[in-house]
Order: sequence, then C-alpha cells, then structure tokens
Amino acid sequence: MAHWIANLATSRPKTVYLFVALLTFGLGLQIPSIAIDTDPENMLPDEQHDRVFHNETKKEFGLYDAIVVGAVNNDDPDGIYNIRSLAAMQRVTQEILKIDGVVRHDLMSLSVVDNVTQDGPGAIRFEWLMRKAPQTDAQAVAVRHAVERLPLLMNTLVSGDGKAAAIYVPITSKDQSYRISREIEQIIDRSLAESGATDSYHMTGLPVAEDTFGYEMFVQMGISAPLAGLAIFLLMLLFFRNVTLVLAPMIVAMGTVIAAMGLLIGMGYTVHIMSSMIPIFLMPIAVVDSVHILSEFADTFSDGDDAGETIRQVIGHLFRPMLFTSITSTIGFLSLAMTPIPPVQVFGIFVGFGIMLAFLLTIVFVPAYVVRMSPAQLRSLRVSHDGERTAGPLSRFLPPVGRFSTANAVRLMVAFMIVFGVSILGVTRIQINDNPVNWFKSDHRIRVADEALNRHFAGTYDAFLVLQEHGQDAYKQFSVQAETILDRARQDGVDLGSIGQQADPGDRGEGIDAMVMALDDALFDAGDAEVPYLEELLAVAEIAQSRGRYFQQPEALRLIETLQQVLADSGHVGKTNALPDLVKTINRELLSGTATDYAIPATAAVIAQNLLVFQSSHRPHDLWHMVTPDFRSAVIWLQLRSGDNQDMSEVVKQLDEYLADHPLPAGLSSRWAGKTYINVVWQDAMVAGMAKSLLGAFVVVLIMMIVLFRSFIYGVLAMLPLTITITLIYGLIGWIGKDYDMPIAVLSALTLGLSVDFAIHFLERARAIHQESGSFILTMRQMFEEPARAITRNTIVVAVGFTPLLVAPLLPYVTVGVFLAGIMAVSAIVTLVLLPAMLSILRNRLLPEAGAGPLAQTDHGLEVEHES
Amino acid sequence: MKADYVASLALVLIGLPLYSHAEDLTDVGEIVRRANLAAYYAGADGRSDARMRIRDSQGREQLRQFTILRRDREDGGDQDFMVFFSRPADVRGMVFQVAKHLDRDDDRWLYLPGLDLVKRISAGDKRTSFVGSHFFYEDVSGRNPSDDHHVLTGSDAQYYVLENTPKDAATAEFKSYTLWVDKQTFLPMKIEYANETGQIYRRVEALEVKLIQGYPTVTRSRMDDLQGGGHTLLEFRYTSFDLGLPEDVFSERSLRNPPRQWLQRPSK
Repeated sequence: MAHWIANLATSRPKTVYLFVALLTFGLGLQIPSIAIDTDPENMLPDEQHDRVFHNETKKEFGLYDAIVVGAVNNDDPDGIYNIRSLAAMQRVTQEILKIDGVVRHDLMSLSVVDNVTQDGPGAIRFEWLMRKAPQTDAQAVAVRHAVERLPLLMNTLVSGDGKAAAIYVPITSKDQSYRISREIEQIIDRSLAESGATDSYHMTGLPVAEDTFGYEMFVQMGISAPLAGLAIFLLMLLFFRNVTLVLAPMIVAMGTVIAAMGLLIGMGYTVHIMSSMIPIFLMPIAVVDSVHILSEFADTFSDGDDAGETIRQVIGHLFRPMLFTSITSTIGFLSLAMTPIPPVQVFGIFVGFGIMLAFLLTIVFVPAYVVRMSPAQLRSLRVSHDGERTAGPLSRFLPPVGRFSTANAVRLMVAFMIVFGVSILGVTRIQINDNPVNWFKSDHRIRVADEALNRHFAGTYDAFLVLQEHGQDAYKQFSVQAETILDRARQDGVDLGSIGQQADPGDRGEGIDAMVMALDDALFDAGDAEVPYLEELLAVAEIAQSRGRYFQQPEALRLIETLQQVLADSGHVGKTNALPDLVKTINRELLSGTATDYAIPATAAVIAQNLLVFQSSHRPHDLWHMVTPDFRSAVIWLQLRSGDNQDMSEVVKQLDEYLADHPLPAGLSSRWAGKTYINVVWQDAMVAGMAKSLLGAFVVVLIMMIVLFRSFIYGVLAMLPLTITITLIYGLIGWIGKDYDMPIAVLSALTLGLSVDFAIHFLERARAIHQESGSFILTMRQMFEEPARAITRNTIVVAVGFTPLLVAPLLPYVTVGVFLAGIMAVSAIVTLVLLPAMLSILRNRLLPEAGAGPLAQTDHGLEVEHES
Repeated sequence: MKADYVASLALVLIGLPLYSHAEDLTDVGEIVRRANLAAYYAGADGRSDARMRIRDSQGREQLRQFTILRRDREDGGDQDFMVFFSRPADVRGMVFQVAKHLDRDDDRWLYLPGLDLVKRISAGDKRTSFVGSHFFYEDVSGRNPSDDHHVLTGSDAQYYVLENTPKDAATAEFKSYTLWVDKQTFLPMKIEYANETGQIYRRVEALEVKLIQGYPTVTRSRMDDLQGGGHTLLEFRYTSFDLGLPEDVFSERSLRNPPRQWLQRPSK
C-alpha cells in the first residue's frame, strides 16, 4: 500500500498536482457563501426541550432580544437626574424609536413608560413619566421621585444610586442588531453633542455581543489564522533552511484547511465559533506528518541519491505510524460527534475529515513535490541540513535528554506518578463555568459596558422562571354542574337549544369565554321557561371563568411573591419583576398611596379591577409580559448581575431546594427559561458529553494501539503521554482556577490526537531501530537523533506557530493558543522523557539485547551501564 | 338613468336615508362638524350594549362587556357618559363616569366595587388605552375637532378624505391622521394614524352601519394595531336613542347604585 502510493506519487507528480489543485479550488469556491452563526442558543439542537420551551416562553410573554443602552453620569451630584442628561436620554429614545427593526411599543425608557400617582385626595393619575425632557432642576428631581416609587422601574430603568439610566431596545430580528447598534451609536453621539450632556453611554445586550463576536470571528479567521500559518512557515524555514522544501507542508496545510472549510460551507453548515476554529486546529495537525517526512528525508538524503528512491523509503518507514496517528487523531475528534451539541459535532466531524485529508495529501503530495525539486535545490537542502545535524541546538540538546531519561528511569517514573497524582487532585478542583460575555477580553467595549451597567443596575442578565397552572378543576367542576342543570331542564321538558349541547369549556378553558357570551345572548331571546336554567348555567360558567384565572387569585400572587423572595435571597439575583409588583403598585395608588397599601389585595375581584385600571394606561400590553391573558401562566423576571453559568446554576439549585421543602400546589409547575439559563443547559450537556466522548475515544484508541503494536504493554505505553498530558493540563486548569469553559472542553480532543501521535512515532521507530540494531542502548542513541528531532521540531512549530493567537481579540482563541502550546510541550516532554524511562525499565521484555538471555539484565546491571 | 334608479332603490331597500344629491361640500369645517355630530351626537341621548373582543398578535382574546349611557348637554358640545361593566364577572359593577367638556379637561371618575371606592381620574392625557383595548379613551369619547388642523385632500363618489394634524404635537402620539367621511351619512368610516416617520401604525374601520331610529349608527368597528399586531373588535347592540335619560342618572349616586331601568336591554 505505502509503496504503491509512493510509486504512484513519484511517477506521476503532475497528476498529483492537478488532483490537489482541483480539490482545493473546487471546495474553496464554496467559501464565499459562508454564513456566520454567533447565537449561543445554537449550542443546543433546535428541538432540544429547554430551548423549545425558552422560545415558547419568549413568544408567549412577548419577550424580544434587546439591545441595552446605558448612560452613566458620575459627575453631577444628582447623577443622571439633571436637565442635560435627561434631555439627551429623551432625544436618544425618540431617535431610536424611528429606527427600522425596533419593536417600538415594547421599548423601555424613561420617556415612554407610564407613571401612576395620586393626584390629590381621591384622585389617581396616569401619565407619561417623562414625555418631555425636564426644563428645571425641580422637574428632574420629580422624575427621580416618581421612579423611586415604581418598583418595576427602579433598578431596571434607573440605577438605585441614580447615576445610570437604561434604554431597553427590543428588536424584531437578531440579524438586524449590528445595523441597529451602529445607528444607535450615531444617535448617541449626535444627541450628546446637541444636549451638551457628558454622560458615558454604553451598549450591551446579547444581540450586540453576538454580532460583535461574529465580526471579530471574521477578523480572527482573516488575520490570526493566516498569521499562524506564516509563523509556522518561518519556523519550518528555520529548521530546514530551504524555502522550496518548506512550501510543501504549507501547501498541504492550506489545501487541507481550504478543502475542509469549503466542504463545511458547501454542505450548508453555518460557521459557528466552534467551526471557526477548524483552521486553527487543522493547520498544526496537517503540518505534523509532513515534518516527520521532511525530517527523515533531510536526514537520510545524500548527494547523488535518487530523491524518488529516498522518499519512497521514507514513506515506507512512516506510512504505518502516520496512518495510525491520523486515524487516532480522527477518532479523537470524531468522538466529539457523540456530544449533544451540534456546533461541537460539526467541528469534530470536519476536523476528523481534515485530518484524514491531510494524511492523504501528505503521502501523495509531498513525495510528488520532492521528486519535482531540482538537483540544485536538493543539494542546498543537504548543505543547510548538514549544518544542523552536526551543530544545531537540537542535535546538541536532545541526545543528553535521552541519556538522562534512561539513566534516571525509576526516579522519573516516580516523579511522573507524583505529577499525575497532583494533576488528578487538580482535576477534581475544576470549576465548570462559562459566560459568553467573557469570550471578549476585559478591555473590550462589550466587557466594559457589561461591567459598568452591572455595577449600577440590579443586573443586565435575564432569566425567567415560568409558572404554569395545569389544574382543570374549575372547568371539570363546571362540566359536572352544567350537566346537572341541563339534566334538570330536560326532565322539566325545557329545550335550551344549542346551548344544551356545548357544556364542555375545553381542558384549558379556552371555550369558557365564548360560552359565557353565548349564554348571555341566549338569555336575551329566551322565554320565561328557559331563563332560570340559562341564568343558573351562566352563574356557574362565570364562577369557572373566574376561578380558571389562576394568577388572578390572591394566593397565587402571594406564592409568586414568596418565590421572588427566595430568588432574591439566593444572593445572585439583583432584582425580580413579576405580576405582584404591578398589582401592589396599583393597589397602593388606588388607596392611601403609602407603603401600607403596597400589598396584594384580598380578593380576585379586586385584583381583576386593579388590573383593569392598569390596562387603562399607555402601555396595557406590558401586563402580558408577566402573565398570559388566560392567567394560567405567569413569569418571574430575574435580573442577574453575572452571566456566569455557575451563578445561574446556584440560583436554580437554591430554588430546587426550596421547592423540595415547600412543594408547589398540585397542578402548578415551574420551569426555567432565558438566555442565561440556556447557557447553563448547553454547558452541562457539553461537559457531560465531552467526558463521555473523551472516555469513549480513549478506549478506542487504546484498543487500536494494542492492535497496532500487537502488544498490550506497548499499547498502554502509547497511551501514557496523552494520559499524563490530559490530566496535567486539566489538573493545571483546576489548580490555577481557570474556568472549564467551551474552548477548554474541546481541547481534550486535540490532546488525544497530538499526544498519541508523538507516542506512536516514538515507539514504532524505537521498535524498528531495535530490530536492526538489537541493542537498547544503540536504539536509544539513534532515537535521540532524527526521530527525537522530528518530534521536537513538531512541538516547536506548532507551539510557537500559534503565538499569534495570543493577541486575538476573542478569549477562546487566546485560550486555545496558550493551551495548544502547553499541550504540545507537555506531550513532547512526556514522550521524550517518560517513554525512554519506561522502555528502560521494561527493556527486558520490550527491547531485549540481542543474544543476551533474560538473566543478564539485572537492576544492578542497568545502573552500571547507564552511569558509565 | 336606469342605473341611477336601481341604485336609489337599493339604498331605500337596505334602509339608508336618501340625501338629496346636493353638491359636494367643500368647506372642511362643515364636513368635520357634521362628522363629529354623526359619530358622537346621534339623538339627544342614547344607550347601547357594547362588547369588546381584544385580540393580541398571537390571537389570544380578552373580552369586555359594558353598557354605555350618554346624554348630550348641547349638540356638538358637552356630554355625559356612564360606562357600566358587566363582564368578565370579576369586574362587574365597575363604572366609569365622564363629564366631557369642550373648553377644559374632562372630569372622569372610576368606581371600583371590590374596594367600594370612587376614584377621580386626574386629567393626564386622553390617549391612553380604554380598559386594555386597542381603542383609546379619546376614540370612545370623541376627539375635540378643534384640537386639529383639517384639510380636505380629496373626495370620491363615496368619501371625503381629510388630512388632520394636531395643533399641539405634544398632545398626541401621532403625526397626522387621515379620515374617510361617508358622503351620505357623514360617519367617519376609516381613520389611519401615521407616526413621525409617516408610517401608518393604527387604523380604525367601521365594519357595519345600521339605521337605528333614523340615525345611521356604526354597530361594528375594528381598531388595528399595525405595529404590535392585534386588534379590537367593538360591537354595539341593543342601541336606542332619545330615551329621555334623566340628568341624575349621570351622577355619583349611579356609581354605587346603577340605574337598572336604563341598563336593561330594551325589549324586542
């Protein structure tokens, strides 16, 4: 197989070129139709039940994704409540209302919300809170007093310290948010200039964050990934000192990245944050095989040799380890397809595809490329490379490493066991947490806005606790009562006509209103005989209608009030808004206007009447953001100060604990929705999914290793570097307290792929060399020449090659860059230090001296041998 | 000739009064005056049962049922209204009392039976929702014609088309509204409200007109919220005019003791 491919490639290089060119350009043509997806919600499949419920909740309560515009004034003693600031705020609001794509009637700002007050004894007044900007300081202060009396607005529209005010701009579609936020920016600049206000304005909210993220992702792919490519190129140039030769792996890497991304986009997948990292993951993996080939080629090729023959030999040596490393890496990434997160699945599958493609391109293209090189180019390769073999830093540094490793085998093994133990301890300390806003660097304007607004307000992250009433008691009872009345009518020979046939109001009481109206109409035309029955029916129907409105009952509102308190006590919730707050406010203004009447009324009728009063305002529809018109579902809005999954999980946990001790009444259920909660859901799914896929892949790779080496011990040895690397890296994350987030989770797959790569090469080559030399010492000596150099070169190429990621504007990329370097370094060290040590300890069984019996190898003998 | 005859006959048959085919009016003030009278001042007084089906953008409905009593102090001038709520049952007994004035703010009171409380509603503005419907308070009581500038912008066989802009922009949320007045009945048949950007965001249409006691009366109309979606369907039934409603019906006493005699539906 290997020979056949090498022969084919070296004999028909032009065909190979054509094939590579067609593949790359053919798939590359798909790239322009790229569609970016930055919605964290898409971390869950469309049909995932929490996501479905989240979207149902949004629809049911008319909740839109909103851009949050915040103004902060730290200079004025009255904070935001000064004439200039409020004028600017008013102007900004009016202009934002004109922007296309803004849900005008749901926009929240001081100038478009209602104030309800007492207006002298016995009078109530509804008016716009701030229709016109105040003209005097007294008017500005009046706005402050009004807001402070309205619990639904306080700490939501204006901060408790009076220094900041917010505008919530709901938008019809998330796709529009970039354009809208740009327009808002211009409006803010204009309004500040016109009003002379000096407030600092911030803009945040998920739509803005997502859009900005999408933009930065493009920057990332357009600048950082090519920069990484350039860095790799320069490093390889440093090692091989031959531009022509180094171009080969670059072409392989580019071809692989373009083909994989082209295929992904061509198949209609959107490019999510995960898939945008595919080029970054593929590039090092694609280069690694080529570096192995070129390393060996450069080391074995002598002037006058037939380049084709040499490369065929090299391919013959490396085919098996390369095939197996590619397959194991592919398995590592394909295992991600087992996670329940679509973007991670797509990522895993296409990186897997890319790895196999890179392997194919490497063994076909690199030989073809080498035979097309001119003798002069090949000669220059010899010259430059010879220089390194004798005097290069790697050539000086590596052999002592080998000697040290074998000489201190037992000590090293113990040391690694300690490291492993400490790492395991670290793994147990891992904090699982993520927050999409923290994907931006701390000085990014989104982070700055987020920090500023959350410092002043009760929180800008929202979650919703939805309460649903399922009890059909009221309607069932009505059906029974109605049947009795209808029976009596029949017995008395009274014909109630069509009314008599429809005593079923439906499970959710959806037919009850129509029934009441029909009865009311029938009463008008009814004769004396029918009237009593119809009146009786109407009476029981109206009772069912009233009782069916669960969240209009005082006990239901008191329950919501209690849950609000429990949530507030959790310590992570800045504020909650719900129906009781509204009812209590209206109740207070209808009665004394003092705090004593800020209470839930005693009867459902008074609550209904309060709500009718509220609905006579400018914004009656605001009611339906808290309860559905059938009063069967209600929602508690949570404002959280942090979008950390951990904090949200803690709130969920505390509520669960409370509900375990204080169960909800029968027929009532509670459920979470909201972006902050959805993030927790996918985070949990990802952690569990990753653990499972990593474990699965580990077992598969272990079995493959045992088969590859036809030896259990070799199989286990091959798994050592990756096992130690993974535990060390994740242990480190646990110890330094870095949150285990999305990019960190995905890195495990990369570790699996790259670490085992080194191990396979090392063990496979060691076995092959030992077969020829028959001596452990000689084998190790040779191993720390070319094979060790190849591994070290690969390590340095990949690790240093990704330093451009460190200056990326998005933290997930930075994290990947840092940990990629870490993983490469640790894998290489473990491979080059622990594997020789282990081989040394197990040399009797694995690499015995030719001709020497087992008895000759004693521990004593070992030590003497190495110390000499 | 013949076609004209058929058309006239048809009008007679469906009961609409035949006005002489006089020249079209060109005086916009006169059109506005007649439209105001036709829409809000039929008879010297009147009663009507009203039903509102408030439907939101998701098709979810709320219902309101109430009886309106009205008495004109002067044709085209001040009026008294009483609105007695009967459904849903939870708000039964709520009463809304209005003394409408042309020269000053209206006086408004609300009676809440659950708290046995009469509350004066202080004059904020009149463009607040009428009990949660898409109609505003002002749509029900009538906007004072002198609040707007009126321009006759067109007319066809059926309608006068008027363009109206508020004299004080701060009193209204609209930039302008277009009014279609029926040339025969002078009833406003359609009004479209435009916002700052010229977009029509609100529309009310008369869906059914009946001749009651000689007065052309809108019995079904629909207000559409073109921005947020949703609409309110308003139906008037059991309407009668010139009942001779006594003045004391329109007093605070009626809030706690509704005048049953006038609230009952007139017998067939």
